[in-house]
Amino acid sequence: MLRIERLSAGYSAKPVLNDVSIDVGAGQFVAIVGPNGAGKTTLFKTISGIVKPSGGAITFDGVDLLAVPPPQRAHLGIAHVPEGRQVFPSLTVMENLEMGAMTESGHRDWQANIERIFEWLPVLKERRNQFAGTMSGGQQQMLAIGRGLASSPKLLMLDEPSMGLAPSTADFIFERLIEIRRQSGLTMLLVEQRVAEALESADRGYVLEAGHVVLEGNNATLRADDRVRKAYLGM
Amino acid sequence: MEGFLQALAAGLLIGAVYGLMCVGLGLIFGVMRVINFAHGDFMMLGMYTAFYLFTAAGVQALFGNTVGPFVAILLAGPVLALFGYFVHLALISHVSGTRTASLEGEGHYAQLILTLGIALILQNGGLIVFGSVLASIRTPLSSSAWELGPLFDMSIFLNKARSIDAVVSLAIMVLLSLLITRTRIGKSLRAAADNPTAATYMGIDVDRAHRTAFALGCGITAIAGGLLATNYPFHPFVGLEYVIVMYAGVVLGGMGSIIGAFWGGMTIGLVQQMSTLILPTQLQNAAIFAVFLLIIFFRPQGFFGRMVERT
Repeated sequence: MLRIERLSAGYSAKPVLNDVSIDVGAGQFVAIVGPNGAGKTTLFKTISGIVKPSGGAITFDGVDLLAVPPPQRAHLGIAHVPEGRQVFPSLTVMENLEMGAMTESGHRDWQANIERIFEWLPVLKERRNQFAGTMSGGQQQMLAIGRGLASSPKLLMLDEPSMGLAPSTADFIFERLIEIRRQSGLTMLLVEQRVAEALESADRGYVLEAGHVVLEGNNATLRADDRVRKAYLGM
Repeated sequence: MEGFLQALAAGLLIGAVYGLMCVGLGLIFGVMRVINFAHGDFMMLGMYTAFYLFTAAGVQALFGNTVGPFVAILLAGPVLALFGYFVHLALISHVSGTRTASLEGEGHYAQLILTLGIALILQNGGLIVFGSVLASIRTPLSSSAWELGPLFDMSIFLNKARSIDAVVSLAIMVLLSLLITRTRIGKSLRAAADNPTAATYMGIDVDRAHRTAFALGCGITAIAGGLLATNYPFHPFVGLEYVIVMYAGVVLGGMGSIIGAFWGGMTIGLVQQMSTLILPTQLQNAAIFAVFLLIIFFRPQGFFGRMVERT
């Protein structure tokens, strides 16, 4: 569904991604793990069009994504749940979800989507008239996920949904994500620093270090790999 | 007491129009974060547009002297909105929005120079085209008044033109608030203001949202300018006199708050009129800024300012 080939990107003279190739098949849950500064967020920003690549190709659903203007990419079915949540603070929870549904498919499926979102993330229903900026970090993260789901995406990209959250909250959000995926069969691409959890729930994984893919494979291979065990799983 | 109530009434009437004028600028600043120094000159263009629509384009012949001016003023709104749309497309969009989002200072320096340049061109171009003679949009209502009272031996006189100006301003404010809070376009404007990057992730074309806000802001301020012109004569450099008041109103209301800008403008109108009770008329504008500094001293974020900065 999403195919990234030999992608290089960065900010002005500083390259962040080098020859990165990643493949996400329809229905798959793929995790990208790696330390801070490895280029994970830059990769997501390049997919969404906020960062311009210096080389390589991205195709989504057979479409050359780099030829599509950034705001149009959401309309193709890509939902980006950004790092640091980035909800709209002066909009209410409900209005934030409506913004997620700006796409045609989101507009069409609004009623069905909102019911499912409220079922998966009941806190959003309770607080639907609250301003997003006044919510806690965990609640904002759930809102950011709900906002992504509201567009009826084909691909949900999650950038560090556990960032800055208490461990118990992060666990809860992971558990919700797995439940959402189990029920919807949605294709998901997850970037995460909590390597153990990410590799446990994903079908496949990539290890990104200093802008290079240093390792890739299915979840069993990665978890059995010595380097991963030493560097990320503390074993 | 009678003098106080009279000044209060005058302040509320002029405040409503100032409020509308500030909202036009507040909308542009709130959504785009662009300091538009040319906004007073867009207003000047709005005044002249209303003036020529009324006198030369047949509105006077069609609607007469009483209703005609207000028809012309309302028509000047869409004309200036269209003008603003193209100014954004041709000029402002090159130094704002997603093109400069990643630059240091978000392109504010280029915006400053560009909008100052536009201001100079509009002022001097106005001088060439319109001449330096004072113009005004006269209606018989400008020089007649309604009398409220007498009640407890007191009467308050409301200038008819100014009263209608205030009512029109309030009506447009209500429509604009509904647009901003209830419609998809309005909500996407607010989302683009809150976080342009995340708005892009939602599929909102931020540059187009900016263009919409700029056009709307120009149109609204043009209407406010036309309304002011029913009582105050104007000339090609009139924008300078008002742009300061506009910025004071926007800052008072809280940078970025669109509704706040209305109350900021209202406050300025009230202070301006009430100050005449104790100060000579020439000191009106000094009074505005004394009160402005006082309010900002105690409430730096303005009436409706957000304590949280945008992400």
